Amino acid sequence: MTCRKVCKLIPLFAGDDLKPRLLRAVRAHITACPGCRAELEGFRAALSEIKSAAQAEGVPEWDEREWSALMARVAAEAKLAGERTGGVAVRAFRPRFAAASALGAVLGLVVLGLLFKGPSSRSGSVTGESGLVIASDNPQQDKVAITMVSPETGLQVVWFLDKNFDYKGEQE
Amino acid sequence: MVLSGRTEAFEPLVTPYRGPLLALATRLTRNREEALEVAQEALLRAFRSLGRFDVSRSFRNWLFQIAANEARDRYRRRSREQAAFKDVADRAPSATTGSAATTGSAAADPEAEQDRQELRAGIMRSLAALSPREREVFVLRDLEELDIRETSRVLGCSAISVRVNLSSARRKLRDAIRRDYPHLEEGR
Repeated sequence: MTCRKVCKLIPLFAGDDLKPRLLRAVRAHITACPGCRAELEGFRAALSEIKSAAQAEGVPEWDEREWSALMARVAAEAKLAGERTGGVAVRAFRPRFAAASALGAVLGLVVLGLLFKGPSSRSGSVTGESGLVIASDNPQQDKVAITMVSPETGLQVVWFLDKNFDYKGEQE
Repeated sequence: MVLSGRTEAFEPLVTPYRGPLLALATRLTRNREEALEVAQEALLRAFRSLGRFDVSRSFRNWLFQIAANEARDRYRRRSREQAAFKDVADRAPSATTGSAATTGSAAADPEAEQDRQELRAGIMRSLAALSPREREVFVLRDLEELDIRETSRVLGCSAISVRVNLSSARRKLRDAIRRDYPHLEEGR
């Protein structure tokens, strides 16, 4: 790297503001070049003078009356905005509105799920008026058994029917 | 809390930053009265825009960004006004000067201390030689000690732009100090 290029980069190097690759190259040059090193020291001294001058200059303080007046203005503005547009109220309502929307969406999904699930569950089974489940999609329930008991003799007869209500046999 | 609409929470939120904000405004404007107006307007703007504040960002840097924008707007407005009233200023040139910071309250101080204060005031006045962008970058990076990325974010420009302006600002200030206060360099 040439002295000319390094001199262009020294203002940033003086404040450690170069990217690492350039930083290494400039550092290597400055280590070996007394002229550029002197230039760098000049920059660092100037920066240091300005920083100490800024610190010594002091920071102006807020006048408490001015501060109170400003905060009163903020409060008045907030009140006015709230009355005129409901700005503050809207801002306060936003999280609640979001929560209500989310809850509504979940409930909607549940209802939709039930609506789409309902017909399929009903289609697999036929429920009689007595509440007796005659058949369902479950293969284990393809056969329906009806047990009849004679009150006089105590004889029990079990009829077996398939899901189409066709007679499949009996057992005493 | 203030983000959820509790306006009374605004004052405790901004109180820790009121000093740094006024200091930044003073360094950007070089005028105490104007700095106060900039800081006040920045806080009002901050309040109005709180709903848009990105909570992943530094609140201090966000306030700095608003103050820097306000100072820049005022500088542009003033430049336009000055251009519009240039004829008037030409007719009365002596009336247009003297808005630089006056820090001379050292009548009772020892002479050496007074010299030192004058030197420091002179060095700080050299900030006036910078362009608005150079001054913003220099103040934020070197006096407020934000890093390059934070500075670019506050000013809404690229890191490259920050580096270019920072380099230019440091060179101008170094040249001004070398020209006006050569003894500082000789004394190294």
